[in-house]
Amino acid sequence: MTTEPHLFLMAVSLALGLATGALLHRSDICFAGIFRDLFLFRRTDMLRILVLLVTATALLFELARLAGLLPLYPFPLLYAPTAANVVGGVLFGVGMVLAGGCVVGTLVRLGAGSLASLFALAGLFAGSALYGEIHIPWKAFIGATTFLPGRTTVPQLLGVAPTLPVLAAALAAGVLLARWARAGALHRASPATGHLQPWKAALLLSVVSLLSYVLIGLPMGITTSYAKIAGWLESLVAPAHVAASAFFRGVPLDVVHPVTGAPLRGGPGPRFDAIAAIQFPLAAGIVLGALLSARLVGELRMHVNVPPRQLAWAFSGGVIMGLASRMAPTCNIWHLLGGLPILSLSSILFVAGLLPGAWLGGRMLTAWVVPAR
Amino acid sequence: MELLERDIRGQICPSTLLVALQEINRHQARLRDGSLTLRLLTDNRDCLVTIPESARNMGYAAEVARVDAHYAIEIRRA
Repeated sequence: MTTEPHLFLMAVSLALGLATGALLHRSDICFAGIFRDLFLFRRTDMLRILVLLVTATALLFELARLAGLLPLYPFPLLYAPTAANVVGGVLFGVGMVLAGGCVVGTLVRLGAGSLASLFALAGLFAGSALYGEIHIPWKAFIGATTFLPGRTTVPQLLGVAPTLPVLAAALAAGVLLARWARAGALHRASPATGHLQPWKAALLLSVVSLLSYVLIGLPMGITTSYAKIAGWLESLVAPAHVAASAFFRGVPLDVVHPVTGAPLRGGPGPRFDAIAAIQFPLAAGIVLGALLSARLVGELRMHVNVPPRQLAWAFSGGVIMGLASRMAPTCNIWHLLGGLPILSLSSILFVAGLLPGAWLGGRMLTAWVVPAR
Repeated sequence: MELLERDIRGQICPSTLLVALQEINRHQARLRDGSLTLRLLTDNRDCLVTIPESARNMGYAAEVARVDAHYAIEIRRA
């Protein structure tokens, strides 16, 4: 493989990461908080923003598909539904609540100076490494519980072109969104310096998501890069173990890049490949985007007087989330901004698991992390 | 009037809101009779919406002010 497609992927991913980090920081959109606060505080304001984000992304994806801009449709690394999607979703929900943010929120907060997010990120690496130890039996579980093989989306299940199901779902969501817009329920007044209305950020994020799919060939995803770091760290102490690991040797991405025509191959192993070229700059861009955003509004500070209990739970939540993101497989951003917009069956199951997971995580949070005094 | 300050900067979400609600409930008698103002220092931007909104829903007055690199939320009798 030449380095040119890698440079292209790296440049695009870095730009998309910068935009994502800045948009999430300024708008206070937190994907973990959306699900957590639904149960913990009965708040639905940001859930409405998520509906807008997924709907706008779905319409953009479908327009792009009809325009012939998405030759990889459904996108790679999306599989037939399995019970693992639900189990992974539940665990991911628990982990993201305990960690104080999802895989992307952790990077955004880290960029803005959160010490707890540094612990959560370390946990994500540890959880990813842990998955390597259960990969073989878990893969067998996925194989045994996969149903509707060969069908990854609702349109495929129905045997119809995607346009009609996507428009039907968007229309249903659109009725709700119009009602909320008329009631002013999509507006969020905040005294924070440089605050960006979440509905505006959601629309911009849907464009970022589209650009990722069109230019990279995949929607945004990060967690395989965490596995790569985990594999690299593990290889420092147990190189033979990592070299023999079926998980780290796997190369699940093997497609032709639709923009450059170059082969894109990559996996969770600690090596430089297409996954590394896509996900490392994206993750770095998110941290840097949030950092620059926080710096510009004069809020870039790291506070170290965090209760040790919270740091310990942030790490634990990261471990659970890192493990779950491989078990599910993949994370909430992949499913929410990539899978749901094309009505992926595995993404629907993942979100179905995410809801009880967030509820359970909220119960654990109030019992153990911030207990009533 | 006494001013009670709590520094909750750097705490994970949603601890900031949970701690704020705990403090409001713990001092509700003095907050309601007007002898106490609760001042929370936070760097959590989301809580600049959720804490004042929760406090107002509980019948208190809430104000947010920018202080250096963070924010101060003051909660007192309405």
